[in-house]
Amino acid sequence: MKGSSKQDYPSIAQSNLDRRSVLRGMGVLGIASLANLNLIQEAAAAGQKLNFTAWEFQPDTIKSLVKAWEAKSKDKITISFIPNVGYTAGIQARQRGGKPADVFYNFAYNSEKFVQQKWAADLRGLPGVDKVIADMFPSSRPRFVADNGAIVSVPYFSAVHMLQYNKKMLADKGVTLPNSLAQTYTACKKLKDNGVAGPYTAYWVKEFVEEYLHVYLLANNVTPFDSKGEPVFADDSKAIEVFEWWQNMYKDGMTPKNVLTADPGVHTTAMAQGNAAFYALHHYFLNDIVQAKGPESNNCDQAKIVGTGGKTLQMGEVIQMGGKLKGAKRLAAWEFMKEYGYKSANGKFTTFTKWASAASLCAPYPGFFADADVKAAFPKYMDLSLIEDTFKNSSDVVPTRTLPWYQGFQAQCGTIIHDLLLGEATPKATRNALAVACRTAKSGAAL
Amino acid sequence: MNIGSVNRRGPNLWLSNRRFGALLIIPSAFVLLVLLVAPAILTIFQSFYNVPADGIGIGEFVGLSNYVFLLTNPIFWESVYVSIVFAIIFISLSTIVGLFAALLLNQSFKGRFFLRGMLVLPWACPWLIVGVIWKWFGDGEIGLLNGILLRLGIISDYKDFLNDPNYAIWLTAIAASWRQSCLVGLLLLAGLQTLPRDLSDAASVDGAGVFQRFWHITLPWLRPSLTIVTVLNVIYGLMQFDVIFAMTQGGPSNATTLLSFLIYRQFFIFTNFGIGSAIAVSLALLALVGGLITVKKVYKKIEI
Repeated sequence: MKGSSKQDYPSIAQSNLDRRSVLRGMGVLGIASLANLNLIQEAAAAGQKLNFTAWEFQPDTIKSLVKAWEAKSKDKITISFIPNVGYTAGIQARQRGGKPADVFYNFAYNSEKFVQQKWAADLRGLPGVDKVIADMFPSSRPRFVADNGAIVSVPYFSAVHMLQYNKKMLADKGVTLPNSLAQTYTACKKLKDNGVAGPYTAYWVKEFVEEYLHVYLLANNVTPFDSKGEPVFADDSKAIEVFEWWQNMYKDGMTPKNVLTADPGVHTTAMAQGNAAFYALHHYFLNDIVQAKGPESNNCDQAKIVGTGGKTLQMGEVIQMGGKLKGAKRLAAWEFMKEYGYKSANGKFTTFTKWASAASLCAPYPGFFADADVKAAFPKYMDLSLIEDTFKNSSDVVPTRTLPWYQGFQAQCGTIIHDLLLGEATPKATRNALAVACRTAKSGAAL
Repeated sequence: MNIGSVNRRGPNLWLSNRRFGALLIIPSAFVLLVLLVAPAILTIFQSFYNVPADGIGIGEFVGLSNYVFLLTNPIFWESVYVSIVFAIIFISLSTIVGLFAALLLNQSFKGRFFLRGMLVLPWACPWLIVGVIWKWFGDGEIGLLNGILLRLGIISDYKDFLNDPNYAIWLTAIAASWRQSCLVGLLLLAGLQTLPRDLSDAASVDGAGVFQRFWHITLPWLRPSLTIVTVLNVIYGLMQFDVIFAMTQGGPSNATTLLSFLIYRQFFIFTNFGIGSAIAVSLALLALVGGLITVKKVYKKIEI
């Protein structure tokens, strides 16, 4: 048996395959496997057909980004645009109607709901996803990672609320840049007395004013919600001061008459024309003011909402993956998401650099602000280090804003704040009404 | 074979008149069934269920609890009130302005054909665009409306009507009526064109004045058209959404939050289909009652 055995099965030595070469081969294979795990997965995922749904903000930029990715990945991506107004309705109707997108833009406040409904995937376990989260500002992570650890999305863009202001107008009227809400009122009063009809402008329309609730609460060092989504601002006496300030700003005419209904473009024009001195909204609106090319456009600058004391709201919208993707298609979708919401394989912020150049949008990664291409792409009149510092040290995403019930609160918030501004509710009643609205929404009984 | 016998026997070559008529209505009946009747039944059905947001299955049967939730919710009642106020303003303005436009364009004067053509323009404008136009028109900083009122001495300073809950409902209703009154004008003008001139001439010979002729001849003649127009106005008034969405998004506060707005929010934002369906059924009942009252009042009130 042994002899025959030797004859039937040649030894390693006889077959020119010695022990060393086997070990060497296995070692090389192992190292190659480990090193190229992503490449192997990418290869498996390449050439997939994906559909991508986005809202219509700079559609040509989106198309060019997708085209570039198609050339790189060999994927075939069909883009579907839904108008920004009504996007939530549109994307949800498609999900319910059995036409889910593979990759899609979403509002951050919808993201956890979508995962809960299985319309969007939990991204845990995908190659490199932990690195994506680890590379973010710690202040940004809670928008993308749910309380239970689920990774619900990657960034489409991020922004911080800033105070756009006309520095020449302030200097001419002898007004210093305010460092608190109270100082903002005083500055506006002085400007108004000096002939500026509506010194402070903002986008306080019913559907959007909820963002300002957080902006002003955070500015006054009030925590809006605790980790369980409880409205702890209702127990903080400083919240009343915020509501008093807010009501007085409107009641005393520190704002333009159309502040409850006008679109951002109207406020941008007001700043560019010199009809307003302050404009509180996302940092990239300074870009719009300058691009408006009004007589005061180049006199405008931006600062933190209240100097360095409090915080401001860090907002941003997200990209999610369809909840039913599997196998190679899931991997292909993820590779596309990484390109769109993180970095390219070469380590560059390719997509975000494009958005920085096109619209001054930011990404919630420290590396983004250090990237030479991003710095070159960002408009020179914007102080990138100030924005970075705001992201890093003085902003909060208010994690409750992504919880599935939050929409119900948001819907009521506009009504309650408008009641306050119109003088139909006291600051104290407003605080109580907001707390009730929050608890009602949590119980699923929002109307 | 004469012509009469061909006419009598012709249809029999194919089908009886009844069967032929039935065949003709099949396509539209099918469309109505699929797009109107089936969704209506489904909506009623859903209003008794806690329908899951993911759209899989009908969910748990909850009986009348969706309705109980609505009937005990102050936001619902506030919205019912706003919807009724909006509808009353809308119906009144659309009907009255449309009627006056029809009467005017029924007169003989130079350029009336051009003006009749112009009457179609606002109607050709989508509701949403009407909302956008009127939002700018009523703007508190640069709106033309403020300019006109200021020149006329009605206001002393620019005012943002959409920011004021007392005016917002009026301005949104006026904006919607602006479009609807054109349809009313066209329909009533068509009715006026069929009014025999002899009737009016005979009344004039008998000494009837303009107002008497209008009240006793023109208005009764328009009764069928007015009934249709008013029912349409009730439906459009109660179902209005687009103009509000563009102008105020239901604000300021809840001043323009119509029931249609609550339905949109429940269906498409919260994906709460049970509650949304219950509101839709409530609104349909409101429109039905409004329509029936209108038919009864308008159809019976004007008599020759």
